[in-house]
Amino acid sequence: MEQKTDVLQGALTLMVLKTLDVLGPLHGYGIARRIEQISGDLLAVNQGTLYPVLLKLEQEGAIASAWGASANNRRTRFHRVTREERKQLQVETQDCEQTLAIIGRFFDMKTEDLS
Amino acid sequence: MKSLRRFLNRLFNSATRRALEERLREEIAEHIALETEENLRVGVSPVEARRRAMLKFGGVEAMKQDYRAERGLLFIENLLGDLRNARRTICRMPGLAAVIIVSLAIGIGVNTTILSWIQTILFQPLPGVSGASNFLLVEPRTETGGYPGASWPEYRALQRQVPALRDVVAFQMVPFNVGETGQTERTFGQLVSGNYFSALGLKPAIGRFIQPEEVERPGTEPVIVISYDYWQTRFRGASGAVGQKVRVNERDLIVIGVAPREFQGTTPPLKFELWAPATLAPALLGGTRDLEDRSVRAFSLIGMLRPGATREEAQAECSTAMAQLARDYPEASAGIGGEVLPFWNAPRGPQRMLISGLAILQGVMLLLLLAVCGNTANLMLARGSTRQREMAVRLALGAGRWRIVSLVLSENMLLALLGASLGAAIAVWGTTALRVAPMIGAFPILFQSRVDELTLAFAILLGAACGLIFSAAPAFHLARLDPQDGLRSSSNTPPRNRARKVLMGVEVGLAMVVLIAAALFLENFRSARQTDPRFRPEGVLLAAYDLSGRNPDEASEREFAARLLERLRSLPDVEVAAIATNVPLDLHGIPSRPFTVEGRLRTQPGQDRAISNTVTPGYFKVMAIPLLEGSDFAEMVDRVAPAQAIVNEEFVRRYLNGADAIGRRIQTRTGSFAIIGVARNSVYDAFGEPAQPAVYFSYRDLPAIQGEIHLRTRNGNETALTSEARAVLRELDPMLPLYDVRTFSQHIERNLYLRRIPARMFVVLGPLLLGLAAIGIYAVVSYAVARRTREIGVRLAFGATSGRVVLQIIRENLGVIIWGTAIGWVLALVVSVHAITKGVVNLPVFIGVPAILLSVATLACWIPARRASRIDPMAALRHE
Repeated sequence: MEQKTDVLQGALTLMVLKTLDVLGPLHGYGIARRIEQISGDLLAVNQGTLYPVLLKLEQEGAIASAWGASANNRRTRFHRVTREERKQLQVETQDCEQTLAIIGRFFDMKTEDLS
Repeated sequence: MKSLRRFLNRLFNSATRRALEERLREEIAEHIALETEENLRVGVSPVEARRRAMLKFGGVEAMKQDYRAERGLLFIENLLGDLRNARRTICRMPGLAAVIIVSLAIGIGVNTTILSWIQTILFQPLPGVSGASNFLLVEPRTETGGYPGASWPEYRALQRQVPALRDVVAFQMVPFNVGETGQTERTFGQLVSGNYFSALGLKPAIGRFIQPEEVERPGTEPVIVISYDYWQTRFRGASGAVGQKVRVNERDLIVIGVAPREFQGTTPPLKFELWAPATLAPALLGGTRDLEDRSVRAFSLIGMLRPGATREEAQAECSTAMAQLARDYPEASAGIGGEVLPFWNAPRGPQRMLISGLAILQGVMLLLLLAVCGNTANLMLARGSTRQREMAVRLALGAGRWRIVSLVLSENMLLALLGASLGAAIAVWGTTALRVAPMIGAFPILFQSRVDELTLAFAILLGAACGLIFSAAPAFHLARLDPQDGLRSSSNTPPRNRARKVLMGVEVGLAMVVLIAAALFLENFRSARQTDPRFRPEGVLLAAYDLSGRNPDEASEREFAARLLERLRSLPDVEVAAIATNVPLDLHGIPSRPFTVEGRLRTQPGQDRAISNTVTPGYFKVMAIPLLEGSDFAEMVDRVAPAQAIVNEEFVRRYLNGADAIGRRIQTRTGSFAIIGVARNSVYDAFGEPAQPAVYFSYRDLPAIQGEIHLRTRNGNETALTSEARAVLRELDPMLPLYDVRTFSQHIERNLYLRRIPARMFVVLGPLLLGLAAIGIYAVVSYAVARRTREIGVRLAFGATSGRVVLQIIRENLGVIIWGTAIGWVLALVVSVHAITKGVVNLPVFIGVPAILLSVATLACWIPARRASRIDPMAALRHE
């Protein structure tokens, strides 16, 4: 179960937020599945690491959680993005896209480009 | 913003951690259940499905740890956990904890009390006066290093000529007879300069203070300021007190104001009740020449530095002024310089004795506290070793070294701080008790030391330091523990007890040093007491009378003394009676006078001085001072004999080179006297002083306004003479109080009281320390023995006698103790020979103290050893 990619805490945070933003309230397992599906096998994390992240986001007030019933009617915790965070998230997404684009350009750069 | 919110949430969660823990557990369970179902759908066996789910989830405990770290503030939680644990640990060993806390509390309490005294003397030398530590003393100093005080004209000059000092004030302590005829009582007051109250920055409780104009011309204003206590007791705190008349030394003075509550005058720790203008001196003290006579140095001076000025400047100006005075008035001021000194460094008076005594005491007490720490460290180390297993388990479960250290530290800190708070309580009690305690003596004394923030901080700091000191060893020891070793070994491994033994040795060494110091102090005090004063105080009653206020002339003073003496002598129980102006061994010393003596040429400038006392015939008999040559003074009524003087041996040796003294003439400012006798040297100012030259004058020639009656009883019970003496005086003059009645022994006791306080503390302290050392040794040995139960059992089973076992245990431990004793002994010896007794070794102390210490140590070893040797070998072997 070794980690293929060392997921940066920040990236995971953003993924969680984006997932919740798009899909609405989800429980921990749902979020984990979603991240797994989207990233494919490229990103296989210990699903457990998700929970401290969720707690941190909740303590910061970015997400809120409430008890609810899961698909097979068992009690579980549902997380959702708070309203203020939803606005914040758009800005953050743009920032992130920009940063990634810049980093991407650096990665594409070849020695010849500089000469 | 986000991080603040997060921090607050974490802080909150630290307090309510259970809810979140439960929630996480549920979430994990649900997560794994869902994943398992998912896997089942793929078609694997239920067991395999669950295994995969678990694998995918990852390490639950590690995640939980992250989660907890995220949830709350781990530092606080750990600390709270440690404290909870510490509380439980302490509750599990109440006896041990009590010993540690109480011994620490005593150590810290005593230290804090002493610090509060020192702090009071250094920073608040004058109770009720803010910023009193900024005051400097201005002290005239003779060539020989004496501090005679300042005369009033000198004060006037210094006031103008030392600009670096703002408002130099002068004051003089005087006894007052207060009250109406027949019911006078004696109180002490100060005669003060006009700027006294304003310079001290005092605000009257009611009324006003003495104004500078009131101290311009002698006899200007008959006013007086009373103390707060006096106001409360005599006037019941009535505001009408101001304006009332008080009869002081047979003069009516008007109360103009009441001093603030805390204020007790400017010669701490003496407590004064009345303050009168210095210019009233002639009126109140029966026409003294205090105000004009430059050789009557009755005043003390203090002054505050002007902003920006330094003590050096003040010193320079003072020296210049004094030099000028010496040129202008050579007969009174020749050879007298001036010194500007900080208050705590007062060259005379009770304060000086106090501060040096307290400093020594503080040092000794800190040593004592160190010994207590050593003791506690030993106990803790012993206990720590029994907890090796516990610590090994903790380490094996993943606790870091620092967690172990912080665990041990928090336990010890809790103990130390408990000790410190109890100690602070002791200090508060101690200083309060000291304030309230009536100080019986010739003078009213009040200590206003108190425990304030600084001293409290000191107590806590001491506690924390102690905690650190005594947790260092066990914490270090336990943190270094190898968990494997710790778990594997049960109590049959030989304990690592070198550290404990070294500590035990150090402690015994410390005890040695303090005990020797205590013994030397006590011995010194006792031998000073036993030094022959060279007169016989036993069987002598002293009482004073004072004709001040009568303003008698010389003839009536002489006549009064003669009549008094005659009647006293006729009392059946009185063997001899005499009157003198001064009593030896007085707290304030006996004045010395300048003189010239026939047959001596002075080579250096300045004047010869000798202690002078004016006495009636019979004095030498009362005091049992033999006259070596010549005869006693002529009778009081003798009008023919010329003025006479009797000198002592030292006078003859120093000023006459041992030549025949009888018949030579002594010239003083008051006249010329023929030497008619030589008396044996005796003690004048203090026990153990070097021989001082002295001149006795006759009361017949120099009658005085005050007199100390000396009565030697016939039957050994001098106190019984009191009422007879009172009756005699009342017959002579019904308005005159007989005051300060005391036996000569009481007189000596009182004046030794300042030396008695530390001596008594040492008496308490020595045994206390011995007890502490014994507890320490006992703890170490009994622990070591307990660890070796199995070994002892084996020995006994193989036929060792219990005597042998005991002997072996004692021998093992006594080695270290002897080392510690020896080192402490050598240390004490070196210090004592070099610093205290100057080469003289007090053999009884240096042999007796180690003997006592070693026997106590042996006993402390013997008790646990004896217990161990009595165990049943079978039980000991089954022990595990």
